[in-house]
Amino acid sequence: MAESDNESGGHTGNASGSNELSGCREQDRFLPIANVSRIMKKALPANAKISKEAKETVQECVSEFISFITGEASDKCQKEKRKTINGDDLLWAMTTLGFEDYVDPLKIYLHKYREMEGEKTAMMGRPHERDEGYGHGHGHATPMMTMMMGHQPQHQHQHQHQGHVYGSGSASSARTR
Amino acid sequence: MRQAGAYSGLLCGGVSGRTGPHSLPLARIKKIMKNSGEDVKMISGEAPIIFSKACELFIEELTRRSWIMAIQGKRRTLHKEDLASAVIATDIFDFLITLVSSSESHAVGGATNVMEVETIDCS
Repeated sequence: MAESDNESGGHTGNASGSNELSGCREQDRFLPIANVSRIMKKALPANAKISKEAKETVQECVSEFISFITGEASDKCQKEKRKTINGDDLLWAMTTLGFEDYVDPLKIYLHKYREMEGEKTAMMGRPHERDEGYGHGHGHATPMMTMMMGHQPQHQHQHQHQGHVYGSGSASSARTR
Repeated sequence: MRQAGAYSGLLCGGVSGRTGPHSLPLARIKKIMKNSGEDVKMISGEAPIIFSKACELFIEELTRRSWIMAIQGKRRTLHKEDLASAVIATDIFDFLITLVSSSESHAVGGATNVMEVETIDCS
């Protein structure tokens, strides 16, 4: 566990260029250096090395990026007399400040995230389906959910001699225990 | 030992139990957002999620551009000066110039001194 997600590490003094952040605790001003380093390595070839100073500089730059975008989004909210900064405000700010290339990947990411959250909510909200699996005529829980919940459709072995399986009729539902 | 979530890796390729769907901590992102100005009071739940991915894209872009600078200098180690050069060469990174300018001024200063010495030698 060398790389901790809970420690920013790296910095010892106040970073230049982030005066607005200087009033709070060190670990609140920057994202964890281990996480930043991991993303940097992902973008570089295997034979590349990164100096500690470079990692710390990127750490500062990311905090500055967050503040820069948030500031622009916040101004928009103030003009529109809204109190909450939402995702659309951030995407608008990124477009305004020249980071429009990020917007499409972020929309896809957000869409996937919402889908994922929707499925999680669906699973939590229907305990009877979780208990009984998806192969019994409820028709709501997906094969993915069933796989995740660690269930195999029950009682299938009893009905296989009749040439069919009760339920959705998908290939995955025809598996035996 | 925490196990990987069922959807771990769906969004950002995390495969260990530690990375999860977000490679950056959302609580920390929210704190940095709040620290960016006194007028930032309310932040929607999906704002840090968007920033999690946006920061990833930003780090990757800044790193790649810096790597080009390192390669031009025939080096395989990324230094602060490479980041400074990348920032100066990229319009959308103008907001970072004050942050990286101290390191760049050293590099520029060094180059200027060399040029002066050469001029003296020639005359």
